[in-house]
Amino acid sequence: MEREDRIVIKVADLTYSYRGGIKALKNVSFTIKRGEVVSVVGPNGSGKTTLLKCLLKLLKPQGAVYIDSREIKDISTREIAKIAGYVPQEHHPVFTYRVIDFVALGRAPYHSMFSAPSKEEVSYCLKVLEALGIRELADRAYTTLSGGQAQLVLIARALAQGARILLLDEPTAHLDFSNQVKVLKTIRDIVKEGSVDAAVMTLHDPNQALLFSDKVALLKDGYLVDYGKPEEVLTPDKLSKIYGIELAVLSDGITSAIVPKLQHKN
Amino acid sequence: MEREGVIKLVILLSPVLAVLTSVVLGRYPLSPLGVYEAVASWFAPYLVHSPPEVAKVIVVDYRLPRILTAAVVGAALSVSGASLQSMFRNPLVSPYILGVSAGAGFGAALSIAFLPPTVPTELTAFVFAVLAFSLTILIARTSSGEIPTISLVLSGIIVTALFSAALSLVKFVTPDPHKLASIVFWLMGSFAASDWGKLARVTPLVLASAAVLVAMRWRFNVLSLSDEEARALGINPARERLIALCACALATSASVAVAGIIGWVGLMIPHIVRLALGPDNRVVVPYSAVLGATYMVLADDIARCLTTEEIPIGILTTLLGIPLFIYLLKRATAVWR
Repeated sequence: MEREDRIVIKVADLTYSYRGGIKALKNVSFTIKRGEVVSVVGPNGSGKTTLLKCLLKLLKPQGAVYIDSREIKDISTREIAKIAGYVPQEHHPVFTYRVIDFVALGRAPYHSMFSAPSKEEVSYCLKVLEALGIRELADRAYTTLSGGQAQLVLIARALAQGARILLLDEPTAHLDFSNQVKVLKTIRDIVKEGSVDAAVMTLHDPNQALLFSDKVALLKDGYLVDYGKPEEVLTPDKLSKIYGIELAVLSDGITSAIVPKLQHKN
Repeated sequence: MEREGVIKLVILLSPVLAVLTSVVLGRYPLSPLGVYEAVASWFAPYLVHSPPEVAKVIVVDYRLPRILTAAVVGAALSVSGASLQSMFRNPLVSPYILGVSAGAGFGAALSIAFLPPTVPTELTAFVFAVLAFSLTILIARTSSGEIPTISLVLSGIIVTALFSAALSLVKFVTPDPHKLASIVFWLMGSFAASDWGKLARVTPLVLASAAVLVAMRWRFNVLSLSDEEARALGINPARERLIALCACALATSASVAVAGIIGWVGLMIPHIVRLALGPDNRVVVPYSAVLGATYMVLADDIARCLTTEEIPIGILTTLLGIPLFIYLLKRATAVWR
């Protein structure tokens, strides 16, 4: 049996500088355990997306990232693609691929330049759609989907990769309120059902992090300011400092909300 | 059978029908029976009684190699166009974006104007087409070895401009008006000079390139994502794109070398296939090759049969392409945006 508290991702002393020497990440370290949903929160330009790209080996930082105790420097990008599924903020489609064909692109790491997914792989992709409750979209053109549907299809593509870790870049950025909740709930369900080992997502709204994650990584100017349980990390104090505005956390005992303190409303 | 299956079958059968029809067409009046007799007597001289020698010469030495060359060139341009459009994430890309047509044009002009007739125009055109493509890649390559799409497009424009200027210079300094006329005629494209030798030289190059592109057909779906998404899927888009680019350049260079610059085919055929069968490159790439072959054979029929003088095929494909493209543009928003 697998130990439930097994460490899935370990980030050790990660530093990344973009060309021109601007440091986007500075000595970031944390660990993610099996079954955890981790939110990366911070203002624009704090290094959220850079962190995600370092985990995917799309960028080559100093320091180390371990997935299942293997340093990713030693894993080929193709192997990483079988372990970690990337869900971009948005996909800009040029061609109107059918949803099922689009999801099947997730099988790319299992194929050489000259091969294509088999029937079995396509039916696996259909099962993924089924599990996400969007089986009926399979024959629709990707371009005809709503924002929420498109986001779920992107998640389906990552699952089709056979990924055990989901890395999502602002999955709620272009969604309306109900779709934000729906997508975040889906991500949480996928992890809690054990379909994947862990999910890491960058978020703009600390409220979403508060409601949907097990751990929060708070970033500011490339530094990891705090890392831990949402209710411990997302305090009015720390958030006010990070965002530079006065904030308060309201709670009714069941759920909490982070709201700005606006002077003119006194 | 469903609609898609019918369309696929029609496309697959179309080049065979086109060749069988085209071989009967021509300005020298031959009955269909006489034509097929001539072909049969060439394949199996003991089975049929020999047709008149003139029929044999016209059908076997002129019409057949010409029709088959048109088919090969049409397939090459269309399969390259389909591949490039998906790789560049741009449905308005033609195979000539890589600078090969300008390079070939310059090479051909140089050969016609200044080189001894022992050097075939076809060879210099091919050499300069490949040279132009290499230059395009060289200019587009960044120091880290990546070839960003936008650099490739711009460097293709630069190389095309360079060789177009060089071509104008050659035309300008050519002393002999007959040679100048030959250059102009070559640039407009024609299959009139086709023979079995040329066909034998161009076919293996096109087949090899097309085989690579058709084998990569699903990969083009992956390559039509953003580079970042493609890399997150574990593939190296720069490397794979370069391999496909080389195949496209080889097929296009070989085609231009034998037939001159024939525009719009590589742009238009993949569009028609996408409209009929959807954007999945597993279908678009191979069916573009097949439909391209048919289209070029039929276009060449018009070029050689419509009037007493041959119409340069490059003019014809452009004239045929424009209205079709306007029509596609008006209704193709369903296929790309």
